[in-house]
Amino acid sequence: MTVHAGAAARVRARPRRRLGPAALGVLGVLPALLLIAALIAYPVGYSIWLSLLDKHSFFPAERWVGLDNYVYLLRDTEFWDSLWKGVVYATGTTALQLVAGVVAALVLHQPFVGRTLVRALVLFPYMIPTIVAVIVWRWLLNETYGLVDYLLVAWGLVRQPIVWLGTEHVMTSLIGMSVWQFTPFVVISVLARLQTIPPELYEAARVDGASPWGRFRWITLPQLRAVLFVVILLRSIWMFTKFDTVWLWGEGAGAGREIRTLPVYAYMRTFTYYQAGYGAALAVVMLLMLMAATVAYFRLFWREEEAA
Amino acid sequence: MRRVTRLALYAAALGLAAQAIFPFLWMLSTSLKPPREVLATPPGLVPAAPTLDNFVRLLTETAFITYFRNSVLVAGLTVLLTTLVGAVGAYSLTRFRFPGREAVAKLILATYMFAPILIVVPIYIMARRLGIVNTHTALVLSYTSFSLPFALWLLRAFFQSIPLDLEEAALVDGAGRPRAVAYVVAPLALPGLLATAIFTFTLAWNDYIFTLILIASDELKTLPVGVQDLFAAAVVDWGLVMAAGVLITIPALAFFMAVQRHLVAGWGSGGLKG
Repeated sequence: MTVHAGAAARVRARPRRRLGPAALGVLGVLPALLLIAALIAYPVGYSIWLSLLDKHSFFPAERWVGLDNYVYLLRDTEFWDSLWKGVVYATGTTALQLVAGVVAALVLHQPFVGRTLVRALVLFPYMIPTIVAVIVWRWLLNETYGLVDYLLVAWGLVRQPIVWLGTEHVMTSLIGMSVWQFTPFVVISVLARLQTIPPELYEAARVDGASPWGRFRWITLPQLRAVLFVVILLRSIWMFTKFDTVWLWGEGAGAGREIRTLPVYAYMRTFTYYQAGYGAALAVVMLLMLMAATVAYFRLFWREEEAA
Repeated sequence: MRRVTRLALYAAALGLAAQAIFPFLWMLSTSLKPPREVLATPPGLVPAAPTLDNFVRLLTETAFITYFRNSVLVAGLTVLLTTLVGAVGAYSLTRFRFPGREAVAKLILATYMFAPILIVVPIYIMARRLGIVNTHTALVLSYTSFSLPFALWLLRAFFQSIPLDLEEAALVDGAGRPRAVAYVVAPLALPGLLATAIFTFTLAWNDYIFTLILIASDELKTLPVGVQDLFAAAVVDWGLVMAAGVLITIPALAFFMAVQRHLVAGWGSGGLKG
């Protein structure tokens, strides 16, 4: 021990010893990696393990059941129902966000007085907490005192107020409200890309006599390809796994069943029915579906890229 | 540009601005109305008899202040931890060569798509096992690990854009790495750090699901879950709920406005999630 201490002292006496760049690099990334490993990677693995158990959410009792949860899942009509609702919600909201987002980005790309301000304002819905977006829209769409129904009736567009959160319209109103909340993501992504398209391309097209539609179709759209690819991927994944907006929209509305998407169903199984094992199986299936969809989507994009 | 096109452009811009902020104006308007006016027909945008009564009741009769304090505390700690760990990690990813560096970058991108619902079950059970269920520690750890992949990605892009020469010049001049980082790199990376901070703050401030599953006692709840409880009452007191909405929106908005200019740079590299 004393020998080592002496050696250490000698080292210290010399100019400070430095760690190599590789060691420093690993050391610097380590805290971040450990946190991600412990709280994202490990839980994913743990989820798979849990999905093989019959486990109560609160009590420690657990029992190995192998693939029983997955077998049950295949015959669970509520699962298929929630999957279908999740797909409707994800595709509906993603498609509408995409169209609205691209149109809005094209408008905000034009020069006009007050453009900076409008660009900032447009982001509001995306920046505010989901709870605020939900309460303000549930107030606007309230069937008795809400502004929207009042105006619809006053302007003679409908005879009876529409029960937006009732069984019949709750999915429509949820999709509309979600599009309002999440479209700014598409706007900002597309706008950032629009700003990097070289103006010479448009000038050349103008010289060639291309119409505005022609310029959009043959210059803007091809340039936006890559960003739209990423935006569609991210938005559909995030909409498919969206929990808070959907859950809060259905809370106490009486028509929650109509918008019970897969994330909501997985949550309910775990925290309402206390079936942690089954809840985990639902989450694992969700993850597998996302991975499969992502791989298929990439394949498709690459094939089109080669064809183009 | 032709006049008609111009007119259409301004109409479209106005429409875009209106759809984004009108709901907030309506929320603000309702929050300033006395109960009878809240439910009046026809509803008016400008309150006839504006009052702060809803705000007073919110602050004195509900636990709003407690929720607010909890939210500030949790979001603040998350920002500090994420920015620190993220900055050190991203700096290391761009400045030192080490085996697996590219793999780490790819892993980070993969976790970017991740959503909390996919792991809430194991997170909850892990937190129970560790005995940190119903603590702010559990929340800060969850938010940090969720914002880290993105923070690393964003900061990595920023550090990559800072020329190595500047730093090397400082190192050659005899400044140690800590000083080179503090005086040369940090000021240039400031926009990136701010973008990371606001992204993280927003994620923690807005989160609903982690508080929902991890926090049981009322005095530890953060705003979104606390306000949802107000909203879940048998008869919804809309004036009160809208007042709460206004007060939650203000800090997020103020923070957003303060760093908005720096933010645009962050968005270019994809500074959003949710």
